[in-house]
Amino acid sequence: MEELAYIQQEVLPSLFQGLWVSILLIIPSALFGLLLGVVVGALRVFGRGPAALLASAYVTLFRGIPLVVQLFIWYFGLPYVGIYFSPFMASVVGFSLCSGAYHSEYIRGALLSIKKGQMLAAQALGFSRLQMLRSIILPQALRRALPGCGNEVIYLIKYSSLAYMVTCIELTGRGKILASHSFKYIEVFLIVGVFYLVLVTLAGLLLQQLENRLSLPGFEFHKA
Amino acid sequence: MPDTEQGPVLKIENIRKRFGAKEILKGLSLSVNKGEVKVIIGPSGGGKSTLLQCINFLVVPDEGDVWLEGNRINHAKKRELNAYRQQVGMIFQDFNLFDHLNALDNVLIGLVRVKKMKKDEARERALSELTRVGLAEHAAHYPAQLSGGQKQRVSIARALAMDPKVMLLDEPTSALDPELIGEVHAVIRDLVANGMTMIMATHQIGFASALADEMIFMEDGVIIERGAPDKILLDAECARTKEFCAKISPIAGDG
Repeated sequence: MEELAYIQQEVLPSLFQGLWVSILLIIPSALFGLLLGVVVGALRVFGRGPAALLASAYVTLFRGIPLVVQLFIWYFGLPYVGIYFSPFMASVVGFSLCSGAYHSEYIRGALLSIKKGQMLAAQALGFSRLQMLRSIILPQALRRALPGCGNEVIYLIKYSSLAYMVTCIELTGRGKILASHSFKYIEVFLIVGVFYLVLVTLAGLLLQQLENRLSLPGFEFHKA
Repeated sequence: MPDTEQGPVLKIENIRKRFGAKEILKGLSLSVNKGEVKVIIGPSGGGKSTLLQCINFLVVPDEGDVWLEGNRINHAKKRELNAYRQQVGMIFQDFNLFDHLNALDNVLIGLVRVKKMKKDEARERALSELTRVGLAEHAAHYPAQLSGGQKQRVSIARALAMDPKVMLLDEPTSALDPELIGEVHAVIRDLVANGMTMIMATHQIGFASALADEMIFMEDGVIIERGAPDKILLDAECARTKEFCAKISPIAGDG
């Protein structure tokens, strides 16, 4: 009974506060990440010269360095050169840049899958490259990239738990504090786990809805 | 249609293109006057498609010039190139409709995005072009829901909506079932009757000879022979032209 009271009165209120911070971290990171991924993916496929090179370098760097290390650099490293991020900002910047690198690969794959004839037809009508990208290529590529990008968003929800490493106390951070006070590690982290599971399930449903809404004849999946 | 223009609508001169070691086009020239139909025939791999794609710079020629109504096109200037391409309608062998847009939007998108037409106006125009090719009732259908013949007719409507001065047709019926060829031929015949200027590559000799003002036999990147359809088909000077036409005529029982 004492256990239940502890959970009701201390664990849940604290975790809900943490959950809210997690959500505030995840939403902008997912949006900026996707936006960055689209730009970088497009640059890697259609860009020329330094722009394409820069995009490749970005992916290599942010996909190649562990996210915790990146977060440490944003939060603990940048002050040495006079740039100060709040824990929250450092986390959002870190997540967005990391997520963008992964998104860009899904987008790149989707862009490469667009048939050449689509581009020939657009060019023959007098589309500029940017118009073609915006009106013809991206609407098709994003539909094809959606399952992969959705996967990245799900993954982001879980690696948002790294924010507590730079003292942004979100869901996992709250759990850590609670558990180290009460030593009820199993109870607290089981509940934390359930919170993430619910978040991920909801996100999965939302993404599925989006996929269904954007589905078009000729773009749907055909079961063999 | 009265011929008000002085000189050809479209003229190409000395077009050369090589891919690696293989020279695909070996210095080709031709021109087409307003309302004229020029038909290019010849074996596959002879450079017909490449030539048509060089004309609107989908393939950039290594050498040679293109003039539209007396203006030489500088394809390195993107704005000029895009403005030129708007005036040259292109029909592809495999249609190349935009897969994510329904028939109406396929026709409409060039008007809205490229010609900056107002959406209402563009919709009206697009619908009238779809009606012209007999597909008004399919306006809401996506490419995946259309037959090959319908797709090619939408692609013709898409090109027509841009008010092209000349149309390039690259084997417009080669990817179609025999049953569906007729409906596309009917649309093309209608265009010619309305005075459209065009250059068409095709294997449908019978159909083409009825429309062509001049037939051009092309092989290995050069024009072997050119002349009136009857002359090329029945009385060719060059032995190779004769041989090709003799082989293709029995299977060209098309309408």
